[in-house]
Amino acid sequence: MDSFDVFKVSASALAAQRERMNVIASNMANAHSTRTGEGGPYRRRDVVFSAEMLGSNANGLEGVKVADVVTDTAPPKMIYDPGHPDADKNGFVAMPNVNVIEEMVNMMMASRAYEASVSAFNMSKSNYMKTLELLKA
Amino acid sequence: MTDGFTILDRLIKATNFRHQVISSNIANVDTPGYKAKDVKFDQILGSEMNLTVTNQRHLGGGESGTSSEITTEDAQSWVDKNTVELDMEVSKMTENAMLYQAGVSLLATKISMFKKALGG
Repeated sequence: MDSFDVFKVSASALAAQRERMNVIASNMANAHSTRTGEGGPYRRRDVVFSAEMLGSNANGLEGVKVADVVTDTAPPKMIYDPGHPDADKNGFVAMPNVNVIEEMVNMMMASRAYEASVSAFNMSKSNYMKTLELLKA
Repeated sequence: MTDGFTILDRLIKATNFRHQVISSNIANVDTPGYKAKDVKFDQILGSEMNLTVTNQRHLGGGESGTSSEITTEDAQSWVDKNTVELDMEVSKMTENAMLYQAGVSLLATKISMFKKALGG
């Protein structure tokens, strides 16, 4: 492993957490969307992370990547609202299976994980800068 | 005379390697099934310190920080079978970085001592 690959490890985590935040933002934005291109209400999406080997040297150091964005298969929430244009004949509207509170919690977790990777990145940087100062010693 | 350089080199290599392992753990804090890793530090440094004492010819050989020194931690597992504990990893990383920087500072001091001796 190249000694600078440690930056790639942290950067992969930043990219993955940012993608997760994008998906969460999309879930929250569509918490009340009853119409989608595929028909029916919006369905909550979630990211799947997987550990990814970085570099050719198989020494067990792993970055992270978004392996897949999956659609939550939970049934839509049925809300009684006969006045709604998308209400069925019994007056129920199929609302997205998004729980805004759950999304907020996920977003906080993503944000904390992002911050942790930023500090890891900064620490790597300050270590290397300190080493480069040896040239002035 | 230059033994100190070798020992500091080992220290810097080992701490740098551990830093990379901890970075991987932090990157995979939300990866399902990921097992936190660590480097058994005392073994690496301890065994290499012994080499410097018992046989001078061992100094140049042996590369510290290979996969055999990575250990998987047996911590409590979360629902998603991920064993990374973020706060522990961050504190380990800070501790490790301090050791690394101590090694680098010592090396800088040593270099400047040699320069002084050479009249530079």
